[in-house]
Amino acid sequence: MDFNLSNEQELLRDGLGRFLSTRYDLEKSRVAAKTGAGWQPDIWRGFADELGILGAALPEDVGGIGGGPVEVMVIADALGHALVVEPYVDTVVVAGGLLRRAGGPAATALLEKVVAGTAIVALAAAEPGSGEQWQDVSTLADRDGDEWVLSGSKIVAMSAPLATHLLITARTSGGLSLFLVETDSATSGIETHNYRTVDDRRAADLVFDGLRLPADARLGQDGQAWPSLTQARDEGAAAICSEAVGCMRKVLADTVEYCKQRQQFGQPIGSFQVLQHRMVDMYMELEQAVAAVYLAVLNLEAEPNARARAVSAAKATVGRAARFIGQQAVQLHGGMGMTEELAIGHYFKRLTALQFEFGSTDYHVARYTELTKA
Amino acid sequence: MDLAWSATDSAFRDEVRAFLQEKLTPELRLAGRLMTSVYADHDASMEWQQILHERGWAAPAWPVEYGGCDWSLTQHYIFSRESTLAGAPSLSPMGIRMVAHAIIKFGTDAQKDFFLPRILTGEVFFCQGYSEPEAGSDLAALSMAAVDDGDDLVCTGSKIWTTHAGEANWMFGLVRTSRSAKKQQGITFVLIDMTSPGIQIRPLVMTSGEKIQNQVFFDEVRVPKAGVLGQIDDGWTVAKYLLEFERGGGAASPALQAMAEEIAAVSAKAPAPGGGRLSDDPAFARKLADARIRTEVLEILEYRVLAAVAEGKNPGAASSMLKVLATELSQSLTELAMEAAGPRGRVYQPHATWPGGPVSDFEPPPDGYVSGDAWQAVAPLRYFNDRAGSIYAGSNEIQRNILAKAVLGL
Repeated sequence: MDFNLSNEQELLRDGLGRFLSTRYDLEKSRVAAKTGAGWQPDIWRGFADELGILGAALPEDVGGIGGGPVEVMVIADALGHALVVEPYVDTVVVAGGLLRRAGGPAATALLEKVVAGTAIVALAAAEPGSGEQWQDVSTLADRDGDEWVLSGSKIVAMSAPLATHLLITARTSGGLSLFLVETDSATSGIETHNYRTVDDRRAADLVFDGLRLPADARLGQDGQAWPSLTQARDEGAAAICSEAVGCMRKVLADTVEYCKQRQQFGQPIGSFQVLQHRMVDMYMELEQAVAAVYLAVLNLEAEPNARARAVSAAKATVGRAARFIGQQAVQLHGGMGMTEELAIGHYFKRLTALQFEFGSTDYHVARYTELTKA
Repeated sequence: MDLAWSATDSAFRDEVRAFLQEKLTPELRLAGRLMTSVYADHDASMEWQQILHERGWAAPAWPVEYGGCDWSLTQHYIFSRESTLAGAPSLSPMGIRMVAHAIIKFGTDAQKDFFLPRILTGEVFFCQGYSEPEAGSDLAALSMAAVDDGDDLVCTGSKIWTTHAGEANWMFGLVRTSRSAKKQQGITFVLIDMTSPGIQIRPLVMTSGEKIQNQVFFDEVRVPKAGVLGQIDDGWTVAKYLLEFERGGGAASPALQAMAEEIAAVSAKAPAPGGGRLSDDPAFARKLADARIRTEVLEILEYRVLAAVAEGKNPGAASSMLKVLATELSQSLTELAMEAAGPRGRVYQPHATWPGGPVSDFEPPPDGYVSGDAWQAVAPLRYFNDRAGSIYAGSNEIQRNILAKAVLGL
């Protein structure tokens, strides 16, 4: 048993940490997210060229370094600590995993671009009626001669407004399948509604009405997309669990610091026992979340049921921790915690949103219940 | 002892319903239903107050001689419940529900004659100046200086968390007129004309993006001594009296009940995390049932406290208990609404809601597109704003301290 990072992994963590602490300004990133392009492309270029993190967990044959879940864990934690809005998890972890398992020339070529930082790929999976059940897909892909014709709709496709390519789940006569679309080329048959999310990301609702795609737009085997899709979702969930841990570390540290500084009744509010115990509870939630991340990450390559069980246990634990730590950090900061003036308010919103991303806490508890039935 | 309504109560409920049916325009109902916090849109709120005032129902809890209603306790409750369930926008609590009670108890005849009728019409709109950057939970540590200068007090300092400061033309606030060993002494309760020279307002952007809260700066602002409520240096007495109205002045359960009923209604249509309908999901159904049980019990608890108040008793520390229970229950309900909203609860779309103030850094889509239903757009904003419930009007930690001391004698 070994919970230590390798030397390379430590270098990765330290290099990324240094980059973010000197180059990733919270206020500047919020301006970009709110009133700018939605992200900072120069930061993405830095990820690709200076740090090489976009390929850290992708195979060497597409230009990556060939790392795995532990590399993703290290990266996502650092991104969470700096509250990075750029679409690392959506593009590299989720789309990257789907493309890697699909194989074929189109997917391989796109992965090379992902590693190089020249392609942003987003997944459109959730539908108005599907809730959190990504296998409940009503979007249809019909064959018409040499083309596919897609009709249906998707909601809250994260990072879609930034994407150069979309991965779309749709049902063919063979079953659930995955389609690749270059956003520039899809000019008719697709209606896009872009918006911002509460945690300052970009997302879109998409309506396909006779969207025509070439025959090779379908990736992987016809009707066989579900195993890869559910794996991608678990990998995404594990990554944002790690991102959440980074967020929570920052939030707890800020809260402890604030309670040492803030004077009321002639003493630091951190001297009051009720607040001390609250912060200790936050600390214990954080430590459990850290352990839960290991549980997920070290089982990501296990057989599907073991993987799903571990990821659900982790996401439920992290969801509970994110809610408690986020809410209590605001409470202990008082009114200031509810403003956009301190970091805490921004982190609180991310800690809220991620409870619902890649399966809500209740979704994962329900899935864990199913998987552990005698 | 019984909970049944008399025939008079039932008739009164019908009268209130008929009034709401007739007077609550669809626009006002939306302004009420799509509120993102306890504060309705200022214009909608004032419009509704005007309509209520014409009927004589703007301030039912006031003594009849000042424009209140000769209602039984049950009637007050019925009115509050029916208004909330019909989706009426809330009225600003600062004037009618708060400072007016202090003016009635401590005000001079001149103060009563000037303020009370104008509060009713909305001509005078109050904001509250209590908290300061260094005096939050420890309110008595406030330091905004008020220097005696002939007929005036000259005020310098700043107030924070002033709701709707920009809309208000008057502020009731606490200032420091002298320093003594006991910090509660030397505080004076003043009514400040917000158009006085030397006042500057800085809006604070909240996590919901809304600009409702403000910091207000005072630079040698002259406040005539005629604007002192109660005695100079004895403002703490007035403030303590008023705080009990702020914490427990009205019943929270009707609004909580309306929230719970809305969640129950939408969950019958929303998908559950594990598939099927959300209302059939055992985990969600239990959480909602738990919240509704707490609401029903709170209703009786509030009813008992209001009954004691109606007999002329001071709500005292019970107002602290009601404040804690109601705000924490409200926070549970906003969590459930977020869960019901599903993936769409994450979309930032204030244009589909009716916030209590302007929203910063947001351009609505040109075609007005809304992802999902309006309640899904409301859910995250209400969740964010509702975190304030356990912070404002004395944090819930402070309320528990009060209860420990005042009720348990610890």
